[in-house]
Amino acid sequence: MTSPLLSVRDLHVEIETNRGLLKAIRGISMDVNAGESIGIVGESGSGKSITLKAILGLLPPNARVTKGEIFVEGRSLNGMSDKERRAILAEKIGIVFQDAIAALNPVLTVGTQISEIPHRRLGWSKAKSHERAIELMTLVGIPEAEKRLKVYPHQLSGGLRQRVAIAIALSGNPKIIFCDEPTTALDVTIQAQVLRLLEDLRAKENTGIVFVTHDLAVVNEICEKVNVMYAGRFVERGTVEQTFQDPTHPYAYSLLKSAPDMEHPVERLFSIQGEAPDLTKPTIGCPFAPRCFAASEECLATEPELRHVHESETACHHATNFLSQLNAGQA
Amino acid sequence: MKAKNFSFYFGIGLLSFIVLVAAFAPWLTHYDPIGQDLLHTLASPNSHHWLGTDNLGRDVLTRIIYGARIDLSIGVLAVLFPFILGTTLGLISGWRGGWFDAILMRIVDTTIAFPFYVLAIALVFVVGAGPKSIIIAISLVGWVAYCRIIRAAVLVAKELDYVHAAKLSGLPTGRILRRHILPNVISQAIVFSMSDIVLSILAIVSLGYLGLGVPIPTAEWGSMIQEGQAYILQQWWIPTIPGIMVVIVGFSLSLIGDGLVKRLNK
Repeated sequence: MTSPLLSVRDLHVEIETNRGLLKAIRGISMDVNAGESIGIVGESGSGKSITLKAILGLLPPNARVTKGEIFVEGRSLNGMSDKERRAILAEKIGIVFQDAIAALNPVLTVGTQISEIPHRRLGWSKAKSHERAIELMTLVGIPEAEKRLKVYPHQLSGGLRQRVAIAIALSGNPKIIFCDEPTTALDVTIQAQVLRLLEDLRAKENTGIVFVTHDLAVVNEICEKVNVMYAGRFVERGTVEQTFQDPTHPYAYSLLKSAPDMEHPVERLFSIQGEAPDLTKPTIGCPFAPRCFAASEECLATEPELRHVHESETACHHATNFLSQLNAGQA
Repeated sequence: MKAKNFSFYFGIGLLSFIVLVAAFAPWLTHYDPIGQDLLHTLASPNSHHWLGTDNLGRDVLTRIIYGARIDLSIGVLAVLFPFILGTTLGLISGWRGGWFDAILMRIVDTTIAFPFYVLAIALVFVVGAGPKSIIIAISLVGWVAYCRIIRAAVLVAKELDYVHAAKLSGLPTGRILRRHILPNVISQAIVFSMSDIVLSILAIVSLGYLGLGVPIPTAEWGSMIQEGQAYILQQWWIPTIPGIMVVIVGFSLSLIGDGLVKRLNK
């Protein structure tokens, strides 16, 4: 078997804060293969974005990777110089950020920014890079590409800007695109268009996609696999179908339950009690235990590891297919 | 929109007028700025000498115009060098951080703490009076402001998504700094440079007044004030007009600076 495009093993990240050392990521492992779309969902502060940044080496100065290894096509990045590391990541990974206006340089034209990587890094001629820019603009569905190359980011609408940002991410021919909440700042119709675009790219170019979001509906729409993140760890992972139909971790179950259901509208949405744990303090037991409906003595004492439960992997002592049970109980 | 920009264009108009008059000085006046006419000393304004003559019979208007050439050009040069130096160092300092940043910032602190005129006077003694030592003295002190402004802006800019993206996409650092950081941080330095020109002109005039600037008999506003002050009771315009010129130039640069701030913040 060939090694995955990107492989992360036991990644730990700590952030220096004025309240003390914050263990933002506490042992994350994942693999990304060509043409695969993987979602990472979790609430604010669960460590989703930090995971992406840690992989890409874009951590803020007060954060650092304390443990773990990253492999790109089987090659470990540990022990590489910054330059080598950047070169490898640059070749394989493109990134799309949440805020398209911050992701584009306001003083350069769209065309300059899209053709910059082909021209500067891949060493293509000006004319060829220009051709490539038009090709990419067309690929991401921007009409009148030739004309639009000459405009500045502020002259474009939010949706077009995000498309430009995607075109830039694609300009280095990456094998994987990291998406850090790329649709959160867009309205729903544009959001759907951008998601369809990403989906098309995956199908056509066989690009791997890692999609970070807190929006379950978006994950459902675009991803095949999902990692549910809580307090710096993955607590449940599986196919989207499996996890959304029949979650095995109480957190995933509660999350899905708190999403509005069009078919069975309710007066008040379900909400998860309490708040996310303070990761500057050492965690004992399962970090979700204080908010969990299934918590027991064991949960407060030891933190569970990911294990296979039905078709998913779940980090819970009491993991079970909650919905099926509930339905069985009602039947 | 028009009303808001009026002061900006007024500033530009005023300054352009002064610059143009200074540039075309030989065509606008046939007097020699250092040519003495001892038969017509201390003349009051008349049809031949619009602003009269000084104690050596030199046409005051001509000397004002030629003085503008000296004061404006030294003023601009004395801002240009620190602008370039400070911006470059600030850019590197903000981007690299670490020991480079730490050492540079201590140098900046030290320079700020050092009194400018003491340094300028010391330099004049070492290098000799003249435009060169004025420019060196102002540059040695002036770069720190640009360095600080740019460094602070770079610290913010380098965490922006497009800079992250550029970094990640494997573009060379030099290009990221030049194309992605610099154009987005330089505006603040440009705005500051407008008021900085005023300060440097003021410094040149002050040094000229103290006899440490451009050596006489070259027409220069500072030395004109100094030479003319003996006659302030009879021919008050001789020392006053150069002073007013400094005020007008400063005023127009301030208007331009304010206008730039408004435009850049839009």
